[in-house]
Amino acid sequence: MPEPQQEPYEPERAVAGTGMGGTMDLGTSEAATLEQPPGPDGTDPRDKPRSLWTDAWHDLRRNPVFIISALVILFLVVISLWPSLIASGSPLKCDLAKAQEGSQPGHPFGFNGQGCDVYTRTVYGARTSVAVGILATLGVAVLGSVLGGLAGFFGGAGDAVLSRITDVFFAIPVVLGGLVLLSVITSNTVWPVIGFIVLLGWPQISRIARGSVITAKQNDYVQAARALGASNSRLLLRHIAPNAIAPVIVVATIALGTYISLEATLSFLGVGLKPPSVSWGIDISAAAPYVRNAPHALLWPSGALAITVLAFIMLGDAVRDALDPKLR
Amino acid sequence: MGRYVVRRLLQMIPVFIGATLLIFLMVNVMGDPIAGLCGDRECDPATAAQLRHEFGLDQPVWRQYLTYMGNVFTGDFGTAFNGQPVTELMGTAFPVTIRLTVVAILFEIVVGIVLGVVTGLRRGRPVDTGVLLLTLVVISVPTFVTGLLLQLLLGVKWGWIDPAVSSEAPFGELIVPGLVLASVSLAYVTRLTRTSIAENRRSDYVRTAIAKGLPRHRVITRHLLRNSLIPVVTFIGTDIGALMGGAIVTERIFNIHGVGYQLYQGILRQNTQTVVGFVTVLVLVFLVANLVVDLLYAVLDPRIRYA
Amino acid sequence: MLLEVRDLHVEFHTRDGVARAVNGVSYGVDAGETLAVLGESGSGKSVTAQTVMGILDVPPGRITAGEILFEGRDLLKLKEEERRKVRGAEMAMIFQDALSALNPVLTVGAQLAEMFTVHRGMSRKDAHARAVELMDRVRIPAARERVRQYPHQFSGGMRQRIMIAMAMALEPKLIIADEPTTALDVTVQAQVMDLLAELQRELRMGLILITHDLGVVADVADRIAVMYAGRIVETAPVHDIYKAPAHPYTRGLLESIPRLDQKGQELYAIKGLPPNLTRIPPGCAFHPRCPMAQDVCRTDVPPLYDVTESGAERGSACHFWRECLHA
Repeated sequence: MPEPQQEPYEPERAVAGTGMGGTMDLGTSEAATLEQPPGPDGTDPRDKPRSLWTDAWHDLRRNPVFIISALVILFLVVISLWPSLIASGSPLKCDLAKAQEGSQPGHPFGFNGQGCDVYTRTVYGARTSVAVGILATLGVAVLGSVLGGLAGFFGGAGDAVLSRITDVFFAIPVVLGGLVLLSVITSNTVWPVIGFIVLLGWPQISRIARGSVITAKQNDYVQAARALGASNSRLLLRHIAPNAIAPVIVVATIALGTYISLEATLSFLGVGLKPPSVSWGIDISAAAPYVRNAPHALLWPSGALAITVLAFIMLGDAVRDALDPKLR
Repeated sequence: MGRYVVRRLLQMIPVFIGATLLIFLMVNVMGDPIAGLCGDRECDPATAAQLRHEFGLDQPVWRQYLTYMGNVFTGDFGTAFNGQPVTELMGTAFPVTIRLTVVAILFEIVVGIVLGVVTGLRRGRPVDTGVLLLTLVVISVPTFVTGLLLQLLLGVKWGWIDPAVSSEAPFGELIVPGLVLASVSLAYVTRLTRTSIAENRRSDYVRTAIAKGLPRHRVITRHLLRNSLIPVVTFIGTDIGALMGGAIVTERIFNIHGVGYQLYQGILRQNTQTVVGFVTVLVLVFLVANLVVDLLYAVLDPRIRYA
Repeated sequence: MLLEVRDLHVEFHTRDGVARAVNGVSYGVDAGETLAVLGESGSGKSVTAQTVMGILDVPPGRITAGEILFEGRDLLKLKEEERRKVRGAEMAMIFQDALSALNPVLTVGAQLAEMFTVHRGMSRKDAHARAVELMDRVRIPAARERVRQYPHQFSGGMRQRIMIAMAMALEPKLIIADEPTTALDVTVQAQVMDLLAELQRELRMGLILITHDLGVVADVADRIAVMYAGRIVETAPVHDIYKAPAHPYTRGLLESIPRLDQKGQELYAIKGLPPNLTRIPPGCAFHPRCPMAQDVCRTDVPPLYDVTESGAERGSACHFWRECLHA
């Protein structure tokens, strides 16, 4: 699976208080360090530059794409936590006598090849996808941004080594790595899959985090804070991180969608989750041989999977548009 | 330019060693290479120990890796589970996958770039919004779902294509699988081209070209496209390696006996030699493709060439 | 008149509303004459020039009213194909930042030769020879070799010479130079400006020089038009304006130039900021920053009064131009 292409991103925008029309260099950088630019007299308060985040939030609230995808994701999270809210049966209760039967009262999506209720299994499948997506993204984001951020901030030999290591990981095809690593694991939990995604996913975030920390580091207000004697940890946490985090969040949100898709792909290939776990990938894989007689068993979980991935990717897209001033 | 090539070649070496070592470790540490050798039965301890010694598996892993790489560079990739040399498997598998990849790349270039240029020039219009939404859907639907659906519709329901590809896998039968393999990248190429075109369209040098009184088609082909396609070419180039490695899913759906199929069999039967051998070649392809892209970049962008 | 802009209005649709960038601008240039258009950023001087040139981005821009007469023809009424033939051949433009205005992936020779192949239908070989001639003419050393180089291989001054060469290529009747020396080192600025002035004299071209630098203007311009918030607030022959400005804004601009004979005195600055073009103040747009503002300035838009006192025509858009002129 190809990595999502990172579109050009301009972190400069993240600097609070630029464009205030200060006449002296010192004036502007000072205002920026204080992070509360004084409004020049006599100007309309609406002319005041809003911060990157409030500006983005202002945009997002009006973006229908964001609202729809956020609602879809909220719904998915709710049914992952409490699937019994909308599905009364058990996903593991199957009746071979009903195998491949179509839609009927009480079973709107029909039955799959093993005679399990497709509706119930599709609802319960959300839990796996959402859990894998969110946990793997958290792991990748934390590991990647810490390693990449530190490498970008301190540079030197550690940075060079990390860069080569990320190169190595980029050279290994993801699905292939999954097949090799996960084929020998017999665990039935989501943890091996999550662990694998974190192991292969962190270099992508690390590269982004490294780049944006290096850019943020060169900003005047960071140089000014350094000149004023700010410690490294204060520089990193207070001045650099808030401005470098935006691209990481964007890439991680989009990656979340691709991780869900990756889990399903691995389960489809038989190395991700294994029965009796409930996963859309497993169900799609199981339905493929019967596709002539019972296409519904393939289509419903496929549709659910596609909508879930789409929701996360669209959310990430909307966030990127809001945070990326270049596209305005 | 010569020094640049040499430097890039030298940079490839640690990445190649790292990637192959990583795969070697994964395969050897995680799975038991002997398990696959006795067929479906469990090996008896004496045979297992003998086999271990025979294959040098009682040696430390780093020695095994060195021995293996030494063999690889003399053209010996070891033996597959059915007793065939791995190189023989490669000889039949790679041409199939290369044909599949060529079809996929052609789709990316022709369809992806055309859609990207059209939407980039008509940003915000209905065509743009429509194509943009379509690319999002394509990116969101996992390849294996796209593949199964197309197979269901074109192969089973409408009977336009054979649901399974024959073992010779001629180009004609690879059109739909190639489209499936390309689908996600195709969407990325479209979006990337669109962004690039839309961004360069507002650039100063395009404004200069218009101010010079050049006709619109000349402004687009000579000034806008040339600059905008540089990142696209880079993406497509690096995608070659990803496509060959990702063909595993597509090949499984359409029953194509290419690299993905052999790898899948190798993994199922825990045949380390097949897996490591194929992955080593794939990593090499990826690295070489990246090198070519870098050189191509220098040809396309004179600012890099003379830097 | 070679070029006459009449009552031009241009607006932009932005996220914050309609920005009225040009609000009834009229000016003219004769062959061989240099008109300097002066103003802060956002005063509409560049948008006016882009509209004249026909390279305004529409949308977001929109021309809502006005005429642009070039040798008597209204350019705004021409079809796009006819308009295109005017661009580059009869009027040409020089941009501020030559590095980004030249195509980074084409040799400068190719970019110069293109003018001849497209507009004159020359063969590539002839066009190439002309490109070398042009580079010689703008005094780029070793033109024969450097014609094959790319823009980033030239220094800033040399790049701007290439821009000038490109504009001069077809000996147009009108050149619009948008801050041609702003991006250059001070030492190079004078050389480039001299070259431009020299070529203008030789070819008897009309020149519209857009700038915010009063120092440049004094040496080369015949007339000055000062713009503020999309309007011309004062227009006059260059010497008159330096002697006695007839608009408080022009006065402010002149007083904010550091002068050697006033060493030690506090430097004057116009208070406040240029107006937001989506919310231009009512009445005279300059009144919130004007030291002479009265009640009438807050309500009535001042027309461009004829303030000609002796000889050459001049105008001022200030209700109190008399007081200003004789202050």
